[in-house]
Amino acid sequence: MLDHILSILVFFPALAGILGFVVNKNSIRSYGVAVATIEFGLAIWLWFAFDSNVSGMQFMEQIALVPAFGINYIVGVDGVSLFIVILAAFFTMIGIASLGEMKDIKNLIITLLFLQMTMVGVFVALDAIVFYLFWELSLVPMLYIIGAWGGPLRIYASVKFFLYTFAGSLVMLVGMLFMAYFYYQATGEWSFALLDWYRLILPESFQNWLFVAFFFGFAIKVPMFPFHTWLPYAHGQAPTIGSVILAAILLKMGTYAFIRFSLPLFPDASVYFMYPIAVLAIIMIIYTAMVAYAQKDIKQVVAYSSVSHMGVIILGTFALNVEGITGSIFLMIAHGVVSGALFFLVGVIYDRRHTKIMSEFGGLASVMPRYATIFGIMLMASVGLPLTINFIGEFLSLLGFYKQSHILTLLAGTAIIVGAIYMLSAYKKMFFGEVTHEENRNLPDVNKKELLALIPLTIITIWLGVYPKVLLEPINKSVEGIVTLMHEKSITQEAKLRIPNVNKDMGLITKPEREAH
Amino acid sequence: MELFLYTALFSPLVGSLFAALFGASPKIKIAGIVPSALLGVSLFSSTMLLILVFTTDITLHVEMMTWIATGDLYIPFGFVVDQVSVVMMMVVTLVSTVVHVYAIGYMENDKGFNRFFSWLSAFVFSMMVLVMSDNFAGLFIGWEGVGLCSWGLIGFWYKKESATWAANEAFIMNRIADLAMLIGIFLVYWNTGTLQYYAAFTAMPSLDSAILVWMGIFLFIGAMGKSAQFPLHTWLADAMEGPTPVSALIHAATMVTAGVYLVVRASPLYDLIPSVGLFIASLGAFVALFAASMALVNRDMKRVIAYSTLSQLGYMFAAAGLGAYWVALFHLMAHAFFKALLFLGAGNVMHAMHDELDPFKMGGLNKVMKGTFVMMTVASVALAGIFPLAGFFSKDLILEVAFVENHYIIYSVLLFTAGLTAFYSFRLVALIFHGEERYKLFGIHPHEAHKFMLVAMSPLLLLAVIAGSFKMTYFEMVTKVLPELEYHIHHPITFWIMTIGTQLFVAGAILYAYKKYTSREIKVPDGTSKMENSFGYKLLINQYYIPYFYEEYLVKAYRELSDVLWTKVDQKVVDGTVDGIANILYNTGDTTRVMQSGNLSTMLKWMVAGTVALLSLAVVFGLAARYSGEIKIFLSGLGV
Amino acid sequence: MEIGLNHYLVLSTILFAIGLVGVMRRKNLLMLFFATEILLNAVNISFAAISHYYGDLTGQMFAFFVIAIAASEVAVGLGLLIVWHKKHNNIDLDNMSSMRG
Repeated sequence: MLDHILSILVFFPALAGILGFVVNKNSIRSYGVAVATIEFGLAIWLWFAFDSNVSGMQFMEQIALVPAFGINYIVGVDGVSLFIVILAAFFTMIGIASLGEMKDIKNLIITLLFLQMTMVGVFVALDAIVFYLFWELSLVPMLYIIGAWGGPLRIYASVKFFLYTFAGSLVMLVGMLFMAYFYYQATGEWSFALLDWYRLILPESFQNWLFVAFFFGFAIKVPMFPFHTWLPYAHGQAPTIGSVILAAILLKMGTYAFIRFSLPLFPDASVYFMYPIAVLAIIMIIYTAMVAYAQKDIKQVVAYSSVSHMGVIILGTFALNVEGITGSIFLMIAHGVVSGALFFLVGVIYDRRHTKIMSEFGGLASVMPRYATIFGIMLMASVGLPLTINFIGEFLSLLGFYKQSHILTLLAGTAIIVGAIYMLSAYKKMFFGEVTHEENRNLPDVNKKELLALIPLTIITIWLGVYPKVLLEPINKSVEGIVTLMHEKSITQEAKLRIPNVNKDMGLITKPEREAH
Repeated sequence: MELFLYTALFSPLVGSLFAALFGASPKIKIAGIVPSALLGVSLFSSTMLLILVFTTDITLHVEMMTWIATGDLYIPFGFVVDQVSVVMMMVVTLVSTVVHVYAIGYMENDKGFNRFFSWLSAFVFSMMVLVMSDNFAGLFIGWEGVGLCSWGLIGFWYKKESATWAANEAFIMNRIADLAMLIGIFLVYWNTGTLQYYAAFTAMPSLDSAILVWMGIFLFIGAMGKSAQFPLHTWLADAMEGPTPVSALIHAATMVTAGVYLVVRASPLYDLIPSVGLFIASLGAFVALFAASMALVNRDMKRVIAYSTLSQLGYMFAAAGLGAYWVALFHLMAHAFFKALLFLGAGNVMHAMHDELDPFKMGGLNKVMKGTFVMMTVASVALAGIFPLAGFFSKDLILEVAFVENHYIIYSVLLFTAGLTAFYSFRLVALIFHGEERYKLFGIHPHEAHKFMLVAMSPLLLLAVIAGSFKMTYFEMVTKVLPELEYHIHHPITFWIMTIGTQLFVAGAILYAYKKYTSREIKVPDGTSKMENSFGYKLLINQYYIPYFYEEYLVKAYRELSDVLWTKVDQKVVDGTVDGIANILYNTGDTTRVMQSGNLSTMLKWMVAGTVALLSLAVVFGLAARYSGEIKIFLSGLGV
Repeated sequence: MEIGLNHYLVLSTILFAIGLVGVMRRKNLLMLFFATEILLNAVNISFAAISHYYGDLTGQMFAFFVIAIAASEVAVGLGLLIVWHKKHNNIDLDNMSSMRG
């Protein structure tokens, strides 16, 4: 079973989803929870079976789909993708478990299970076409979730979300086809397998063009400035569960794809485009943080804060060294946990008051102390306080990029200031002061079902902030592999200089020092 | 011995978590007693460690576990107890224990009693992490941790707008400095390859001096935020919105001195870059004077003490900047004792006066509050630096340092500030405890605080008196780590003239303050007197208009810019472009759909037109291909 | 003067042009069918002529196909036309716009 665990992880929720159509409406919730729990259990099992001393792919499976064109169903997992897969399983589980009463809950749960298939599929796919398939398929359930269960502007928001990301992906598809064609030219064989592509050294100009083609697909998904405007609408209109999954998992597809495709395939182009992308990332960080500060709707604050944090992730990715990339992967997980939790928290208050406008609240700290405490912890995690999960990621990302540019890191570091500004002022507006609205005076505190989602997230937030080693070790191992590959593949002098030679560094500096302690 | 280290470090955390268990429930006395007792344990352990370090010169170094390890980066949770950190541990645990016990009485009628102790103990834990860590990252954990707790405690009375505003201000302003600190840490890492103090400092002498200067500057900016140095000082006075025990512990004795601790800890770095050191010293001297001047006229008891804290921090930085790290640390220690005492005394007065803060509305309180009166007077004497109290030894030493190192400007500024310090301290004492009983006008019936609160304060009283006599023992101990520099004015006559001169100057200032503020003429100022309308007074009472400037030109500008970015740029430009492209596509479809009229003959016409167009294209390309050679020649003839 | 290939082609072109104008100008469905027939026959002429010119029978064979298809097309078309005429009592093109987009 362990040999096929990835395929099981991908297709089990979808099959269960199909079966879900025949399940009775009253028992669909427990059915959904059961399926998601089994899936999560499998993901955890995968983690235990995972060998963190191996830097390459594990649990690989391969089935030929279109042999003539080298299209195969290939899946595999390494330190980069492992934890995002687990995170996806985890969020689907607690998301379904904490669902409140809403219409058509059966359809929603089935949709979520399909969404889970596409999410896991994206992160384990090692064939470009299969990857593209899952990448695009993931839009459909999300479109449905926003469009069917969303707010008043849901049709506009969902269509915008779909078309915007879809348009970007098409450019990426062209890039993929060209890449395969180039592979055919070079070797005489067709192949869409990522690991085959890794071995190919492309001329610099090709790299630049292909990098740009892939960039559009990924950047819109991340979303990077100036392609971010679909996100606030999608978050603003989506139901709580949609926002949570979108922020926690779907956004990570873009940043993950940068690490999986752009960096190892086009190392020279990555170096070439490092500064422009870093500038975009910094604009993302500061600009969206300021926009977040201007918001009146708490959900929009969290949505824009997501964009701001994604900027740090991008920056860490393009640090192109082990510290930075490890940090950015860690921050993906951290951001998933924290922003997912923040969207849950917004959902809690929305369920009670049916509004998300901050001026409608005020003084909630005395009415809902437990809610205020959990919100406070998540707020501090979002702001990047040490010993919370976010800090590790932000610290490493910025530390990594500092190697590349001092002044840009200084600018990007303002993330910790501007982040504090919008988060604290939002918290102040909602929780501090006197209770000014009568209807707020008797709001019930978080209930058991909500705690079911929030408590685990809080524990993870602090646990991984104090003891990140469990994640960092496997991530580090795989990232070292990627950086080594990039260093060896790169052809320009500049790239050789910018991308460190991991093996040499490790032998000389780290080893003796660690032993000294 | 490691056991003591861990108990000293973790018992405040346990206390905090214990109190947090009752966070949402109504007041329960045990939530205050247990954390206080656990702090007692921590104090005991610290004392044992002090004895150990003092008697055996052992430096205790433990590594609990790995925190972050990736690439070449390796950061453990490592703790070190050496001569410097053990002094800090003693100061922190001692003052915190006193404040905790005191707060059981002070907060007895507060609804958030349990929450208060949870935050307060969490603060102590963060502070212990800060001083005990053996690496910059660990220091940063504590650094941010104390910032968080300070946020929670300043905004403790969260229903008050001013309190939450001050809390956010403090947090954000500290964050600005923290960014610089973070950059400093990055610099250390990429240049020395490690964040461990010892290894990093060993590697530093071989580095380029420009890099060292940047390191020094960035780390110092970090220190400026926590220690509220100009221009990041405004948060400290506003932080007085928090409960008074908080002001005593966090904003006088411990957290604000973290910056000084950082400079002292990084003394091997600052020794290499004397130019930055001189800058630190100059800034310190400037802040000493600047803050003291604002304390002269302020009419808020707690703010006066806050400014005096700021001013004393300036002294510490002046000493540290001049390379006299042990002197800075000594003043830090002495200051912690008498300033905490002063604040706790002010807390008693506040309770007695029903949270009235204006000393002009008090007067003659010495009759009802004997104990508090004695304590605050002693603390003020110590602060003023009168022989033989603690302040004399530490502050006089700083003056001597400045003199011996030939920085006469710094020396004279500090000397002048010493006079101002004495004046405003005793202005406060005189206004509160002497003169007419003006409070009667406002119908207040003051009462003395609980006995046990006064008893709790007594260790501080004792230390404020005798701390100076530890000078030589302390010197021998800390100079095992810090540079051993003795500052003696070589000529005995100069020495005596200076010491006695300073004493007379300070004593004169005290007498002047007494004379001026115990007189029967003192009335509650109503804004009509000549002095209150003078330019100098207005400048000082408005804190040189710096908070106003920040509010008007930074905070408002940021808010407005944010609004513009959202409504104009994000919605109109960025999103407008996207929607614009979509609209163009939509409109194109809308306009061209008339072609699909459904009329067969029109459609046939379009079909013919399309065929003709395609045919002519084919012909053109065919011809172009056939005559490509000629076309090229023709074009080159045109000079294209 | 011998009648050569060019003459046939010119005839074919002229017929095609007539047919094309008819297709575009005629408003009567029946006339449209006539015009279509002219178009097809113009092509048939050139098929037959070129086939003869090259001595290759493929072209003439093709012309037969075209004739067959034209016949069936007219049969179906006229059938539809009669139905339409019964229903609407006219066969004017301008009235047939149910395909309007």
